[in-house]
Amino acid sequence: MNIEKVIEVLNEVKPGVDFSKENDLVERHILSSMEIVMLVSELSEEFDVDIPLPEVVPENFYSAQTIAKLIERMEDED
Amino acid sequence: MQYNSYMYLFAFLIPVVILYYIIPIKYRWGVLLTASIVFYLFSSKYLIVSILFTSLLVYLAAKNIEDRNLKFKEIKKSLEKPERKLLKEKNEKKNNLVCGLVAIISLGILFFSKYLNFAGNIANSFCRLLNINMQFETVHLLMPLGISFYTLSAIAYVIDVKRGVCEAEKKPLKIFLFLSFFPTVTEGPIERYKNVGKMLSTGHSFDYKTFCFGLQLMMWGLFKKIVVADNLNRYVMVVFRDYKNFGNWVIILMVLVYTLELYADFSGCIDIARGSAELFGIELSENFKQPFVSKTVNEFWQRWNITLGSFLRDYVFYPVSLSTGFQNLSKKSKKVFNNYYATTVPMIFALFMVWLCNGLWHGSEVKYVVYGLYYYAILTLGLLLEPLFKKIFESLNINRESKGYQRCQIARTFILVNIGMMIFNSKDIASAKEMFFAMFKPSAISNIPQELLNTGMQSPAMVLLFIIPVIIFAFVGHFHEQGISIREYLAQKPLFYRWSFYLAGVAVIISLGAYGVGFKGADFIYAQF
Repeated sequence: MNIEKVIEVLNEVKPGVDFSKENDLVERHILSSMEIVMLVSELSEEFDVDIPLPEVVPENFYSAQTIAKLIERMEDED
Repeated sequence: MQYNSYMYLFAFLIPVVILYYIIPIKYRWGVLLTASIVFYLFSSKYLIVSILFTSLLVYLAAKNIEDRNLKFKEIKKSLEKPERKLLKEKNEKKNNLVCGLVAIISLGILFFSKYLNFAGNIANSFCRLLNINMQFETVHLLMPLGISFYTLSAIAYVIDVKRGVCEAEKKPLKIFLFLSFFPTVTEGPIERYKNVGKMLSTGHSFDYKTFCFGLQLMMWGLFKKIVVADNLNRYVMVVFRDYKNFGNWVIILMVLVYTLELYADFSGCIDIARGSAELFGIELSENFKQPFVSKTVNEFWQRWNITLGSFLRDYVFYPVSLSTGFQNLSKKSKKVFNNYYATTVPMIFALFMVWLCNGLWHGSEVKYVVYGLYYYAILTLGLLLEPLFKKIFESLNINRESKGYQRCQIARTFILVNIGMMIFNSKDIASAKEMFFAMFKPSAISNIPQELLNTGMQSPAMVLLFIIPVIIFAFVGHFHEQGISIREYLAQKPLFYRWSFYLAGVAVIISLGAYGVGFKGADFIYAQF
């Protein structure tokens, strides 16, 4: 399942956060724009998908679930 | 026409509101368009051609991109995969070219009206340095109202159509309304078409609650501007102008007061703008979210002038740091550095672009460039030293998630932001440098010159003027931070309490505001940008 792997990547980028519970990563400033760039880069490598710029929007980075959905969508498009 | 003037509040806004609600719903956007044209002509006269041109340019560009995309959608099913891919790439290149041209032309107009003399001065300095006998004359240029704001909204609109984030508008006049909408044209917020386009062009029925919320927000904005910012401005001006005559404590205090003034001035203007828009049922983006509780400088810029920060993030930072070139650089860096530094390298380049743009956006002076690069230096150092800090904190057994540590972070960010504000408001870089060092030179507080005493510096009013707004802003900010809407809370109270509160607010603005015959209130600080 993608979600566990996504949480692993999230923990590498930002340790010390319980990503299985947090569901407002952007609005609550848990992930900064710099951490999102790191995350996109790590996710692209981990899942071997391209995340295009229009997809780098807050809605896709609210929680580990929304990130996992984004990855699934990108995998389908590939 | 200033948002806090009688002209705007009584002679302009009230008739526009009445007209808006008596005209059939279908044509209400026309009232907003006419009002925006009148507002613009009043402030910038014939310079309206600049915003007209930009509107037409982005209208045509977005239409061109959308037509191409629609055509591709229509025929793509009939094409084989390689052909489809080839056509997609070709279209992408054409769309990028259109976006590039729009950016060059609209930024070119901005450069011509805002930065020409600045570029001339830099060229003159180089000529002097290289002993070249050449001199660029200073040209007297008039800047169209809000050019720094509407140019960014215009570029964002075309890029969003290209990215498929929003559809291209069919009517050019609606694009003109989007760019020239009178509450946003002076100081923002820098709006995106996808957020407000529909709201602007669809007429709204009168809604008592939204209307009252709009009035409340305007009143709150007027309180910030007239009671807090304009009163504090008198003291700040004197100290920043003649800082050499003051002791270090006065300078430190006035830097703090200036930060409060700028916050009250800019966020006050945005509140009046958002409140004005709410009178027509239009909800604009928030531009401030309790900036002084930020734990890092990066977070501060996600809470202060949010729409500028998000523009630079979405249209400069992400495209640069996530571009194929920089991502490849990151992959190559992984062979030399560890994972952390390999991902950080592209960001350091992207951040430079962001903060250079941020500094330059604020004004055509060296101090603004330094202001932007000051934040760049802080963020870059933070990024580069993060692994070291991590090790130090781990070895000292300091929990970075603890409340105590977070309070220290807030205090540190507040100090760094205040130093930034000092650079921002100094006459030039040399003055900023002198003021900065003067803050550390102890001197007797009694050497306050007469000029400042004449402004009432030592009176209890000065202390109250500073302390009371800080308490009020902290109180309001605390509730907002908890997700509690004070406006909703008030709306649930009985009519008598509600209106007593409103009338008390009006009384405070009338009795404590800095205005009146012979008094010229300070212009909105961000209006000059």
